[in-house]
Amino acid sequence: MKKILMRTIFLAVTLSMLSTSPSFAEEKKTGDFVNGAKVWANTCNRCHNVRDPKEFSDSQWEMIMLHMRDRAGLTGEDTRDILKFLQNSN
Amino acid sequence: MKKMNLINTLFVGVALSCLLPTTSQAETNSEMESLREEVRELKEMLLKQAKQTKSEVKSIQKDIKKIKPSQAFNEGDSRFKLAGYASLGYTEQEMSDGRFDTVQFSPIIQYSYKDKVFFVSELEYKIEADGSTTTALEYATTNVILNDNATLVVGKFLSPLGNFRQNIHPSWINKLASAPVGFGHDQAAPIADVGVQLRGGFDVGNIKTTYAAYMANGPELELNGAGDEIEAIESAGFTRDVDGEKVYGGRITILPFDNFEWGVSGAYGAVGLANESDRSYRAFGSDFSYKWKNLDLRGELIKQHVGALDSSVAPEKSTWTASYLQAAYNIPKTKYETVIRYSDLNSPHPDADQDQVALGVNYLFSANIIAKLSYELNNGLLNTATDSDRYMFQVSYGF
Repeated sequence: MKKILMRTIFLAVTLSMLSTSPSFAEEKKTGDFVNGAKVWANTCNRCHNVRDPKEFSDSQWEMIMLHMRDRAGLTGEDTRDILKFLQNSN
Repeated sequence: MKKMNLINTLFVGVALSCLLPTTSQAETNSEMESLREEVRELKEMLLKQAKQTKSEVKSIQKDIKKIKPSQAFNEGDSRFKLAGYASLGYTEQEMSDGRFDTVQFSPIIQYSYKDKVFFVSELEYKIEADGSTTTALEYATTNVILNDNATLVVGKFLSPLGNFRQNIHPSWINKLASAPVGFGHDQAAPIADVGVQLRGGFDVGNIKTTYAAYMANGPELELNGAGDEIEAIESAGFTRDVDGEKVYGGRITILPFDNFEWGVSGAYGAVGLANESDRSYRAFGSDFSYKWKNLDLRGELIKQHVGALDSSVAPEKSTWTASYLQAAYNIPKTKYETVIRYSDLNSPHPDADQDQVALGVNYLFSANIIAKLSYELNNGLLNTATDSDRYMFQVSYGF
């Protein structure tokens, strides 16, 4: 009974999150360069040496930030801000 | 009279003939002036065009510079990128000969659909002592970005318990040539699991927080050779569930000020041996990292516990605990970095217990290419590998 309850709660929370998911067609929000620079400086080097923005193209940074969003637990807003900073600095 | 007329005519003729060249010179001068004007205009036009061409060439050169080969097939809703890391290493340990013992290549394959769905997988290719190559799927997940604060992760994922295994283990990130004792495979720190996970981050005022919550098949138990003791908890990430019970867990981190992170992890559920009843499973972890100027400090504690079960072939309860504390200092204005780390493993088996002090000097060719020289002072069961000091040289490349 307990395990069924736990699974139900977990799935219910997940589903409730799904219901708040925006449409795929939603327009892309743009980031904030200044906040991006700040979050980049405070976040990336907590795990690894910071990479030079010039190392990757705009498109490559987009993919990298999707991965790092997951690894570092970044919010969508911080992800967009860091991306803006990287793409404007490469 | 005739004579007079002739003289007059001659005079007028001479006068006219003198006048004629004067008129022609004026026209010529006028034409020349006109031509000069035209030349001036042409010169100006040419200069203008040259300037414009120069600017256009510069602009085109800039555009060409921006275009990189990878973009040719990366633009569009579906995208692909190859990342990863590789390392080569040499180890010399007391009581044994030195050898080039590490050749590892870990490609990370990434696909995305818009910025909503992201698939990521890390493979590991490793050459073994006998020359054979082992391949492992370290993780493979599909991540659905639900909103700004939540991502649904499905598949085989790195265990969110603790920090080292999920974020620090890649060789180009880890500042020493080896993992801290207790944080290797089948030791105290869980490696991976198969299931579903919800993770993301929130801002609480000015404080950043992150979270991960998961439900997965959980680890398995491995018996010793005699079959009467639990040798290890295996957490390679299984698609089977021997005990039929799921494991629930997660990690919460808080970043109260810049460059400092503190995390707490926990998990509970059940594990069991085949054809036996389930027994309890608990895990707890805590970790921190702090960066101050050129100093990088981090530490972690992780603990896994398996409850007793009287009816089992291995009835005793078992606990594995590992911890480490590490300081790394990048010498200012140089590419050198020094590292010191203390790590400790306590397990139910004395032959596996170990504590270690590791010292390292690194040379950073760049942020992602690092040469590491590490020396480990090991303290374990006498006359075994866990008690033998060793030095290691490793070159790692993250790409």
